[in-house]
Amino acid sequence: MDEQSTDSAFAGVSRLRGRVFAALAKGASWLGILVLAWLLFMVVVDAFGLPAASVGWYLGAAVGFGVPLLAYGAYIRRTRPELGWIAVRSTIIPPGGLVLAGALFILFLVFEPVHWLTYYTVAVLPAVAVYGHFASREDTRAPLFATAVGVIGLVLGVFVDAALPVKPNPWVSLVWVLVVPAGAIIAWREATGDRRRQATIVGLTALGGVLASFVGPATVGVTPDTSVILYVAAVLPVGWYYGHVLAADRSAWPGLLAPVVAVLAIGLGITLGDLIGATGPDPVLDWQFLTSAPSTIPEDAGLFPAMVGSVFIITIVALVSFVVGVGAAIYLEEYAPQTGLGGTITRIIRVNISNLAGVPSVVYGLLGLGLFVNLIGMGMGIVLVAGLTLSLLILPIVIISAQEAIRSVPEEVREASYGMGATRWQTIRNVVLPRAVPGVLTGTILALSRAIGETAPLLMIGAATTVFRPPTGFASQVSAMPLQVFYWSFHQKSAFRELIAPAGVVTLLVVMLSMNVLAIYLRNRYEQQT
Amino acid sequence: MARDDGRSTLTRRRMIAGAGAAGATVLAGCTSTDNDGGTTTDELSGDIEISGSSTVFPLAEAVAEQFMKDHPQVDISVKSTGTGGGFENHFSRGRSQFNNASRQITDAEEDMCADNGIEPLELRVATDALTVVVNNEAEWIDCITVEELRQVWSADGPDTWQEINSDWPDETIERYGPADTSGTFDYFREEILGEEYNHSGDYQPTEQDNLIVQGVQGSEFAVGYFGFSYYYNNPDSVKALAVDGGDGCVDPSVETAKNGEYTPLSRPLFTYAAKGALAEEHVAEFARFYVEQSGKQELVADRVGYVPNTETAVDEQLAALETAIENAG
Repeated sequence: MDEQSTDSAFAGVSRLRGRVFAALAKGASWLGILVLAWLLFMVVVDAFGLPAASVGWYLGAAVGFGVPLLAYGAYIRRTRPELGWIAVRSTIIPPGGLVLAGALFILFLVFEPVHWLTYYTVAVLPAVAVYGHFASREDTRAPLFATAVGVIGLVLGVFVDAALPVKPNPWVSLVWVLVVPAGAIIAWREATGDRRRQATIVGLTALGGVLASFVGPATVGVTPDTSVILYVAAVLPVGWYYGHVLAADRSAWPGLLAPVVAVLAIGLGITLGDLIGATGPDPVLDWQFLTSAPSTIPEDAGLFPAMVGSVFIITIVALVSFVVGVGAAIYLEEYAPQTGLGGTITRIIRVNISNLAGVPSVVYGLLGLGLFVNLIGMGMGIVLVAGLTLSLLILPIVIISAQEAIRSVPEEVREASYGMGATRWQTIRNVVLPRAVPGVLTGTILALSRAIGETAPLLMIGAATTVFRPPTGFASQVSAMPLQVFYWSFHQKSAFRELIAPAGVVTLLVVMLSMNVLAIYLRNRYEQQT
Repeated sequence: MARDDGRSTLTRRRMIAGAGAAGATVLAGCTSTDNDGGTTTDELSGDIEISGSSTVFPLAEAVAEQFMKDHPQVDISVKSTGTGGGFENHFSRGRSQFNNASRQITDAEEDMCADNGIEPLELRVATDALTVVVNNEAEWIDCITVEELRQVWSADGPDTWQEINSDWPDETIERYGPADTSGTFDYFREEILGEEYNHSGDYQPTEQDNLIVQGVQGSEFAVGYFGFSYYYNNPDSVKALAVDGGDGCVDPSVETAKNGEYTPLSRPLFTYAAKGALAEEHVAEFARFYVEQSGKQELVADRVGYVPNTETAVDEQLAALETAIENAG
């Protein structure tokens, strides 16, 4: 090719090709997004029984819901724009608190509050006290002493727990383990130095917790311990935030009205909808669905045991895959030999980890069955085996993403650290890891989101299709949300296929998305810090 | 935090007072009752694992659900592993106390169990049956042979009744049946059409038995099939055909389905209990409950859709079970 034609070809083609490519890329993105959105829409429609409602109902609901919210939004925007964030935050805190309450509820369902009481009193509290004591004197040995006290306390706790003469009611344990520390945190944050106010805040908070244990059962009909959990997770943060905002600026109260307006709007929407359209949506995904055990009667069916099972499994997966995965990544990037025979072995290992990331999940299921069940002899289909098998499945992904994150820390920063006389461990601990954490967290959480939706490996290790109670320990038989959905979607009764399975899918998606939200929040926090 | 001045000691006392108040409530709440305070109806507790056939799974699930309502301390998990998979991976290795089966245990499977010292006890828990129905006005037909049934339902089959049997009217066949996602569809296809024929696509597929009934009620020349339980509960809505499997016409009924005369559209469903496990009280009690429930119309037919056992069959199973329990204990 001569020079001239190259020139003209370059000049003539560059724009067209670029534009076609851009259009294709855009089209591909939109296609993907639209297809996914459509799928989600269909599932949500089924899960919430939307077709059951008449058009009139939706019109009424839209008016009743939209008008107050829009009016309030317009007011804030026009007259008090500086309150916008307060309005948003005060609206997010109550539902966030409810989600937290759900997580705590599941936690205390598995570990009885009485045991928490013992270990908290004997181990955690003394350790915190010791740490506070030495840290206030700027003694660098504070963490060491605190750890020692904590470990001794844990060992002691085993005996105390067994020998406890009277067993306090769960709600009493929860007040002591949750409410009092929560009050202490609020007091410490809000009344720095003012001990009288601090004491008052702690006292009032504790009193509120005790009151909650009587008020909840009497008004909402929940058990006292559930009531205390709701108080700590939902009521207390709201109260704290309101107090915090009002203490700083009393005229900020219109911003705090946002959640009240939201609740009123929802109520008004439903009322208007019922007035105009008579029949509202008939949601399958409701409180009953989330709190019931599976059933052969569609109306009674629920996802609760599978939901708790999934949370349990994913906790194990998170612990194992994070510790092992990040450890392996640090070793491979920072310690493993990079040259000579050792370097060749390191390279072989790296390539194989990448290959393992592509192995089908069924194969990991078989591996789990062979390794944990048949060879080691753990029970079939128990929480621990499920968790470990899924850990194996996502370990390669965690390692690879952690490696990438560690590798992206510039070499100059390491050199500078060494130049200051830091050891390798100090460099890794203080320079490399803090910069790599956002990337490591992102990779881990994405892998966890994959793990929570896995079905095939669980089938392989013999996880139960149906359990009626949530697991009570690591050796319990367990079912998981995707398994339950899998079973429902092939059920003989159409109600299960067409209504219950979508409700399960939506629940699974919500749990997964909340995990991702948490991950993004954590990552952003770390990114701001470094 | 801990600067030592007079004020801080004073407030520290206040802090202690606050903690004391909390401590008092702790003591006030101390009652040495049982943790949950739930009403304990009995002492039965323990785990039960059930594996096996996906056909029997809904029945086992329903029975387990019912049993756990009465015995809150017993934990049952039910796995749908397929009959063979359940025997091989779970039951014969002592990992499950019960294995559901849509067929009888094979010799190889029994050997496998014996290798691990497990003795299976066969319990018949229900019968799976299909009913072929026509309009109540259809006087011209009472009985159909398996071969005729195959012609009615095979793909590219005849269009009119007369093409199959010259005694039948020269009218177009209207077919109503379950959709191909249904287990009933699979079972019918296996038993009647076999490997060589495809199921007719020229029919109204539906998920709901009552729609099949509505369709069949609408025309004298319509035909449909569904699980036995719907006909059992609504015997007057449509006319069930007797089926001739080679030994003459047999009407579908609880009796004929159970004693195996109603072939090939009925098959017994089993659960196998590990005899050794019956020594445990909660396992034995569950086995009794399972067998007792197998005769209950409400649970077996209405909720799950199979043919329940007759009273005599239940009694026989119970007797066998009691012997096994005694020997195990």
